[in-house]
Amino acid sequence: MATTTIPGAPASHDLPGDAKEPRTRTQRAPRTTVMAVPALIWYAVFMIGPIGAIFVISVLSWPGMLARVGFAGLGNYRAVLSDPLFWSAVENSAIQLAVAVPVMIVGAFMLGYHISTRPRGHQVLRVIVFTPALISASAKAMIFYGLFAPRGMINHLLSAVGLDGLTHTWLADTSTAFACIIVIDIWAGIGYTATLYAARLSAVPESVYEAAELDGAGHWRRMWGIAFPMVKDYVGVTVMLQFLWTLFTSAQNVLLLTQGGPGNASTNLSFLVYQKAFLQSDLGYSQAAGVLLFVFGLIGMLAIRRVFRQSY
Amino acid sequence: MIATASAPAPSPAPPARRGRRRTGGAGRTAAQVCAWLYALMLLLPLYYLLVSSFKTNAQIFSSPLSPPTSLSFEKFASAVSDARLDLAILNSLIVTVSSLIVVLVLALPASYALARADGRAAAVIERAFSLGFLIPTFAALVPTFLLAAQLDLFHTRTFLILFMPATSLPLAVVLLTQFMRTVPLEVEEAARMDGAGSLTILIRVYLPMVVPGIATVGILSFLTYWNEYLYSLVLIGPDRAQRTIQVAVPTLRSPLETDFGILAAGTVVTLLPVYVAYAFLQRRMEGAMIGSAVKI
Repeated sequence: MATTTIPGAPASHDLPGDAKEPRTRTQRAPRTTVMAVPALIWYAVFMIGPIGAIFVISVLSWPGMLARVGFAGLGNYRAVLSDPLFWSAVENSAIQLAVAVPVMIVGAFMLGYHISTRPRGHQVLRVIVFTPALISASAKAMIFYGLFAPRGMINHLLSAVGLDGLTHTWLADTSTAFACIIVIDIWAGIGYTATLYAARLSAVPESVYEAAELDGAGHWRRMWGIAFPMVKDYVGVTVMLQFLWTLFTSAQNVLLLTQGGPGNASTNLSFLVYQKAFLQSDLGYSQAAGVLLFVFGLIGMLAIRRVFRQSY
Repeated sequence: MIATASAPAPSPAPPARRGRRRTGGAGRTAAQVCAWLYALMLLLPLYYLLVSSFKTNAQIFSSPLSPPTSLSFEKFASAVSDARLDLAILNSLIVTVSSLIVVLVLALPASYALARADGRAAAVIERAFSLGFLIPTFAALVPTFLLAAQLDLFHTRTFLILFMPATSLPLAVVLLTQFMRTVPLEVEEAARMDGAGSLTILIRVYLPMVVPGIATVGILSFLTYWNEYLYSLVLIGPDRAQRTIQVAVPTLRSPLETDFGILAAGTVVTLLPVYVAYAFLQRRMEGAMIGSAVKI
């Protein structure tokens, strides 16, 4: 970097003649990097610092906000790893990811491709499909609180079509509570992701499809045989996004709708981290679980990267 | 990240330019049916929410989908007075607008600096910000909570206003840097010849030329800040004078018997500003949301 330049200094102080090169550099690189410092400090204090602190807190014994803090070494990790609740939370998170992400991505890709072919009414469809991206977590949870209520719309519709046997107290039933959380992920996730795919696919030249059409390729083959390979690495990016969102942010849906219950039936990893810290005041345990959650996220991300880059 | 210097401005996907509609077929018809079924599944809950906000529990339970018999705003009035939504809306507005100002004040000089510097330090800083995309905000909930307590800003809106801009800084800086790079160097050089300093150049020369970028960042940040729930809950807590609308509305539920009409009305109130903004800024909002995901 041309660190010798003085901001705003006229370049005419340079030697005349062969000074052309340093002169342009003087003008092109005024020392403005310092203007990035406030943002950097902000970012360090409120983002990087807290992330680093997770690792520190995870080796501390911190049994409550006002309690004395001690050193626990790997004690918290031992407590977490030998806790059956942790493993059932891992299982729930794994189920959630294994169901929600593939359904979301495949559904969104088919929908996004369909919209990109501009079917009848595609403009209206586009607007409707985008709507869930605008709804906040708490509003979404309240909408589904009404839908899943014992006398809410879903049970009413089931009874109306003679399926009384299928009605449940959805959010309070061990067998359905966590499924409800997954349904909400999928409900909102398909629409937003489909919007992304539709935008990306509309950049694929029409001629690409026309050639395939002459070869007699139908909707299905055009979609998976031509459109999909062309945006495969972008699909990889969205899989990564949805993976992270599902893994980390579903604590809010659980908190708002089931509080992890009944029993611990709907406790997943991110809710466990929340619950241990704020409902049971065991910060050390919570952050040890938080570190493990972080590690799972990292491993998952690298794995997804590998799968979607494989063919390149 | 220097390699992105020549990247074009992050405009939303290029406009579709299909000459004719593709031929139909059974597959396409099936896709159309599925697409509209999903659309119905999206609309039905929203319709249910809207009509419920004009009904009593008895009406909601007996005929959930029938249109309301009267359009009285009684449930909305009850929601406002039960959970002090008036204060909550005001708090949400204060938090959203203040955070927006903070993020722009921080990100604009930073992205100008990164766009124009060609040193290694700048490259490292830009890389650090772009890696920030991959940090899930939720991960740092507990340490952030402790930081708020440490700064004596626990249970205040102030901390949220300081904290939330940090979460959207990566996106704001990376996006704005790319916009700033599209401003021709000659324009800046001419201003420098006239003796203008960096700050003047940023405000007079760059700001007017990166308005679309500012709009994109503004829209995305508005959505993030207005919709934020978990951090608001943990950092501000239940204090009615401080809490935001996202935290206030779920308190309309009752463990004994929730009045679903009031709850629905409260939820509609949280959605209104976002949908009103969407009605006016449809294209821009979609473009912003799409662009932000593409950049990652």
